[in-house]
Amino acid sequence: MLIPGGPGGRERPARLLLVDDDSNLLVVLAEQLRADGYDVATARDGVEARRRLENAWPDLVLLDMMMPRLDGISLAREIKARADLPIIVLTAIDAADSKAELLDEVAEDYVTKPYHYPELRARINRVLRRLGDRLPGQRIELGPGLALELGRRAATVNGTEVSLTPTESRLLYALAANLGQTVSTETLLARGWADTEGADPSYVWVTMRRLRQKIEPDANRPRHLVTVRGIGYRLEADPT
Amino acid sequence: MIPFRIRITAALLIAALVPLVAFGALLVITGRADSDGSIFRILLTAFVIAALLGVGIAFVVAGSLTAPLRALATALDRIAAGDTSTPLPALADDELGRLAERQNQLAADLLRRNRQVARVVDAVGTYSPREGADRLVDLAIADARAAFGLIDARIVLGDPSAIPAEERVPGDPLPVRADLRAGAEPLGVLVGRASATARWDRADQDLLELFAAVVGVGLRNAELFARVADQNERLRELDAAKDDFLRGVSHNLQTPLARIRAYADQLAGEQAVAGEPDRRLGIIAEQSDRLSRMVRQLLTVSRLDSGVLRPVPEVFAPAGLVRRAWEALGASGVPFTLDDRSGGWLALADPDQVDQVIWGLLDNAVKYGGGAPITVTVALVPGDGGTAGGGGTGGGTLRLRVEDAGPGIAEADRGRLFERYARGTLPGAEGTGLGLYVSRELARANGGDLVLDTVEPGPGSQPPADEAGSRGASAATGAAFTLTLPAESPTEG
Repeated sequence: MLIPGGPGGRERPARLLLVDDDSNLLVVLAEQLRADGYDVATARDGVEARRRLENAWPDLVLLDMMMPRLDGISLAREIKARADLPIIVLTAIDAADSKAELLDEVAEDYVTKPYHYPELRARINRVLRRLGDRLPGQRIELGPGLALELGRRAATVNGTEVSLTPTESRLLYALAANLGQTVSTETLLARGWADTEGADPSYVWVTMRRLRQKIEPDANRPRHLVTVRGIGYRLEADPT
Repeated sequence: MIPFRIRITAALLIAALVPLVAFGALLVITGRADSDGSIFRILLTAFVIAALLGVGIAFVVAGSLTAPLRALATALDRIAAGDTSTPLPALADDELGRLAERQNQLAADLLRRNRQVARVVDAVGTYSPREGADRLVDLAIADARAAFGLIDARIVLGDPSAIPAEERVPGDPLPVRADLRAGAEPLGVLVGRASATARWDRADQDLLELFAAVVGVGLRNAELFARVADQNERLRELDAAKDDFLRGVSHNLQTPLARIRAYADQLAGEQAVAGEPDRRLGIIAEQSDRLSRMVRQLLTVSRLDSGVLRPVPEVFAPAGLVRRAWEALGASGVPFTLDDRSGGWLALADPDQVDQVIWGLLDNAVKYGGGAPITVTVALVPGDGGTAGGGGTGGGTLRLRVEDAGPGIAEADRGRLFERYARGTLPGAEGTGLGLYVSRELARANGGDLVLDTVEPGPGSQPPADEAGSRGASAATGAAFTLTLPAESPTEG
């Protein structure tokens, strides 16, 4: 996948750093990704990955959770402490319980082994698409009754903390990066469900409706999540 | 009943008059009475005077006797009603006076014991087994001292008969003791000393023994509580160890599966490019998927057990999920129909978990249906207009019915189908026996349910085969499961 930022304002291939202690898998996956036009670097463990990060900063890190020497979660914390580098966690554990925590803490997304390559690719692309988005801050105050902290997948509504699902926070991320502007339903669909076959605009509609129930201080009179009929949605802050 | 006072008056009167009457009678009998009757007149006068005086004096004497008795009766009435606060007035130093004094003391003792009982009851109410036996012993000692006015007290645990009783020495503090028991089992003894001048009656001893019995039960409870808490802690540790173990096993199994899967995908990709696809690679991918799902199922059971299965609800079209699960199953030889009547409504649940459920149902239908056609129907049950969605935006329920036209499920199996490790009595039944149990729990965790449905015999359906297989023993042909999931209407808003 090509992303902006190449020399002379052209687009360049996205740089991925692939970290996994399973060398067989590393080779196969790197080949598949290169064949799809990514610029892939690999590391066999956390220490090697750290060394590679000293030299070049990738656009995205694909990280195995269980590794010798330096485990995935420690490395991910280290990376996040230095920069907001997106991380997709690869793990052999279907950690239905730790899923939420892992995501909350360090990762943008989570893929279970054995993965389906097309799904993994779709998730990589979804995260990369987000790269251009820049949020106005860690904590976005939209009014006296609503603040978003998308890094933690949380919103504070009338003083009460509400947790957001990964999809909800992805949609809000796209909307918050374009605060006050309308984001089309198609864009939101791509951000939320890039890896879901057969997703259609109704996915966005229903999720938005639920999101409104969750975060609007008064769901009957929505002020922040505004529907622009037939086009998309807009996130608005209260006038100050 | 003639009042006491009247009876005393009558008695005194009779005592005064009987000698006079006897004297008159004696005169008549001996014939000493003169003819003019002057003696009788004198006697009559004396009789009248004696009667009048007798009545008067007797009445006063009786009054002085009955007044303190009445006061005593009133005081007893008050005590009986629970009022021990007003002592009887001090009376003369006679029998009645002593009676009143004894009565006052009785009332004071009653008051004291009432207070002791109240303290004991209060104390017992504060004993919580959670605080442990040592704390309970400390509390009980303090309470025993306060309630019974003991100089000192201690609790010795062990066989009470092994702890010698102290001799009472006049002038020294009075030793008291009571055994601690839980039921018939001796736990120890409560020993203490009351002051040398204190009164220690049978009632005090009874109350101390009652107190000791309650402390004994409390100690036993604390002991049991500690044991249960200890066991719980050990179970938690075991549970955590089991979870760690399962994670490790899962990792060690999934890693090679991931490798197999990746190579199979890569090879399939190369062959697709070369234009000569090999179906066997698809089988390798499917089978590695199946293995990986079985490993995941074990982990899910562990999550269910420790109550940490947390669904992340997202919206999705279940029909799409069904189609993908069917494709992943790779049972292309079995006729499959998907009838989507959801009207575009979207399920609201954790897609990964629902995928586990649907895949399992389809897998069962293939495995036990004997190649008979499988039909999945997705139907909408509109809700009351605002349960799931809130604010009046349509919440409803989607019903996914997975039906096979196979031999059906034996009556004997129906009841325990969803139990853990339940396997059909069908010969050759394979699997872990966890599938339906896990599926139902997952459905419920996502706000839905999974039930065994009835199958209406269709016009073309055959009576069940007569063979030994238990699925064949059922009257109905085919098996149907219905999965319900919360749903939302697909409207813009």
